[in-house]
Amino acid sequence: MSAAIDQQVITFQEQFKRVKQEVSKVIVGYGEIIDGVIMSMLASGHVLLEGVPGLGKTKLVSTLSDVMRLKFSRIQFTPDLMPADITGTNVVQENTMGEKFLDFQPGPIFSNIVLADEVNRATPKTQSALLEAMEERSVTVGKTSHKLDSPFFVLATQNPLEMEGTYPLPEAQLDRFFMKLKVDYPTVDSLHTILNRTTKNQEPKVERVLGQGEVLDMRKTVRAVPIARPIQDYAIRITLATHPQPPHAHALTMKYVRYGSSPRGAQALVIGGKIRALLNNRVHVSLDDIRAVAYGALRHRVLLNFEGEAERVDTDMIIKGILENTPEPS
Amino acid sequence: MVGVLDSNAGKEKEPVHSMSDKEIIIASLRRVERRIRLNRLVTELSLGATLFLAIPLFLKFWDLVVPLRGGTISIIVGIWVLLFVAFVIWRLAQKGTLEHAAASADKRANLQDGLKTAFWFVKNPRPSEWIDAQIRRTANDALNLNITTLYPRRVPVTSYVSMGMVLLFIALNFVPLPWNHNWLALQAAPAFALNEKEAAILKQTEELLRKAEKLKQSQLAEKLEDIVQQLQEGKIDAQQASEMLDQIQNQLQEGNLDASSINEGLEEIAKDLQQSDKLEPTGNAMENKQLNLAADELRKLAEKLGMNTPQASKEMQKSLQQAAENTRPGLEDLAKLLKEAAENMKNDQQQSAQQSLDQAAQELESLQQKIDSQQLKNMASQQLQNLKDSLQQRQQAGQPGQKGQPQPGQKGQKGQGQKAENGQQPDGQSQPGEAGEEGEPTDQAGQQGQPGAMMPGGSEGTGLMPGGKGGTDAPREGAPTSLDVKLKQEKVEGMEDGGEKPQDLEEISKQERSRLDYRNVKSDLSPAQKDLLNQDRIPWEYRPLIKGYFQAIRPAKKQDKQ
Repeated sequence: MSAAIDQQVITFQEQFKRVKQEVSKVIVGYGEIIDGVIMSMLASGHVLLEGVPGLGKTKLVSTLSDVMRLKFSRIQFTPDLMPADITGTNVVQENTMGEKFLDFQPGPIFSNIVLADEVNRATPKTQSALLEAMEERSVTVGKTSHKLDSPFFVLATQNPLEMEGTYPLPEAQLDRFFMKLKVDYPTVDSLHTILNRTTKNQEPKVERVLGQGEVLDMRKTVRAVPIARPIQDYAIRITLATHPQPPHAHALTMKYVRYGSSPRGAQALVIGGKIRALLNNRVHVSLDDIRAVAYGALRHRVLLNFEGEAERVDTDMIIKGILENTPEPS
Repeated sequence: MVGVLDSNAGKEKEPVHSMSDKEIIIASLRRVERRIRLNRLVTELSLGATLFLAIPLFLKFWDLVVPLRGGTISIIVGIWVLLFVAFVIWRLAQKGTLEHAAASADKRANLQDGLKTAFWFVKNPRPSEWIDAQIRRTANDALNLNITTLYPRRVPVTSYVSMGMVLLFIALNFVPLPWNHNWLALQAAPAFALNEKEAAILKQTEELLRKAEKLKQSQLAEKLEDIVQQLQEGKIDAQQASEMLDQIQNQLQEGNLDASSINEGLEEIAKDLQQSDKLEPTGNAMENKQLNLAADELRKLAEKLGMNTPQASKEMQKSLQQAAENTRPGLEDLAKLLKEAAENMKNDQQQSAQQSLDQAAQELESLQQKIDSQQLKNMASQQLQNLKDSLQQRQQAGQPGQKGQPQPGQKGQKGQGQKAENGQQPDGQSQPGEAGEEGEPTDQAGQQGQPGAMMPGGSEGTGLMPGGKGGTDAPREGAPTSLDVKLKQEKVEGMEDGGEKPQDLEEISKQERSRLDYRNVKSDLSPAQKDLLNQDRIPWEYRPLIKGYFQAIRPAKKQDKQ
């Protein structure tokens, strides 16, 4: 029996590795980002990629969709984009009998992988069109709810908030992202590689290595990994420490945070920890796993107060302080 | 599960053939916990020992500066031992948990919380293949745990420090300083310690008392030793010691000879004997207080008694007869023997006369012995008085008498000692001589401040009797003298009969006055000691008596006029 589990773990690792290898053929120097994106997908979550334009965020997502044998659609968010442009709408049609009826024309959201490019360029109203889809995996148009295919995975990219013509994502929207990954500027070596790959006639080609069923199996494997109460307790205490209210609040939290993470943050910590454990050939979650995914899982769930905003406090700094000061379970 | 639990570098290998994965994990955690506890105990106990050892070490240093008494050391060391034992028991009783051991082993062996998770699932079993797989994997990891490598036995630095402190403590106990006490040999500062001067006085007194063994007073030296020992052990205080010294003094004074009377008697006998040519050497020797020599001369004379001419014999008989008439207290036997010798010579009983002279010689030797012994006793008594005064002075000054401590007033005591040697009594004592003049001997035996004729050197003021009573605050009465006291009343103007012509005691000193202004004489005494000396020492309860005395000797005419 345990051999079967070992085999599952090995399979999980191999599939993960294969996806990552294929993506890495195109995307250079973003190993952690790629890991985060794949982990979010395997955790049944969505990912928000933040970075200045031109760093390959969109390319990363499109490459991932190329690697997966899944339905992919892309939505370019603009200020004039309407919710119906995302979800789809009922269109009046005429049948052979000449009768008119409303027919639902699904929007681009009806895919397995949805790229919401520059999501913060759309108005909050349009951004909110993703809320139901991301959490309920369904879209309601009129009086009819339409189920989305599984797996459903939203990869959103956004420019830094201080950029011109951007709208900050509402808290509820942010909370629905499993992880927020920051895409930094590539290193010199990475740039060399990028230039070598993209300035020639032949561009790298990727293979489709993962299908729908495999992704769903991997998701099941992730959720089967056990976590002991002390480790889970640690994840909860970290989550609670993001709140400015005592007794778990950290000093930085009390000073700069308006709202802390929702329970989804703790869920992200645990599930992210499980995936990391599997990737490290373990069938149990460790404290290191929790700590490793904490930044991605919590940074967008910690909302700064006025003082924090004014002082341009980075939420990563707050999370770092929390991780350093939260006692480990004995 | 088959394997060997190599948890301690092969030292504690246990067969695990029949152990389940859970049991392997728990067994491993128990071993880890034991090793953690052992290492913790070694560290904590050595650190605790270092901190605790600082206390006796500090005390020992303190003891080198201010010697501590045995009681103080016992209490402090007792508390220290109790606290240390309590600390050791407290630490020994504190056991770690297996959860803690699991967390620690996870970190040391880099097991990524595998043991912690597995132990939690062992304690909280759930039906899950994944959990079983996790436990199995962790059990395999636990089998490979090398506790010796993970938790090496190291001697903490604090243990070296504590060992150094122990060695320093031992070394401090053996520091060759006169005031250092070896606590390891259960030595400590005595409750009361004599200073150097007092110790010297004590030694001298004991020697004198031992020399006076001939007078069957040898037990007094032992008594004195016993008193000093009790004082040093804290069984008695200085006041009690003073009282016990008083008793010894009184015992020393018991059976004292009337030295003045004997002196005068011997001088008179000597003068009488010097009238005879044959007896002149004997008389000279007696005049010089060389009684043994006088006895030898007397024996020689007895041997040659038959060879004397009748004229010489007659002179001798006459001289002996005259000498025999000087019957002073203490010289009765001598006078009687001289008289017998004179009568035998008168009756031409030569043999009997020789025997009488021999007996007289023996009496002279006996007298010499008594005088010598009494001299020793008096010296011992004087030294006792000095010792007693010193103790009383320290008691008044509130000195604990710690050995090694600088004794305030020690210098002053020295000065007093010098005074005593010069015939002055230390403060608080009545002066020799009734008139209270410094060192002027009087002939009133038995009174406070005996005359100094028999004292070494016979210098002024060194009375035969030890310093007078009244050295203490309360009047004390010693043993009544057994001598036949003859008081000579001073003749006062108006008295119809009796009394002696008053002497100007300052007459001698008037002949040559000191050119040094007394105000320029520097004193070693402290202001407090000077105040003590200047105090009126007549106790209030004696004042009516003194007043009555002066009223009694008041001239009768004046009384009538009044």
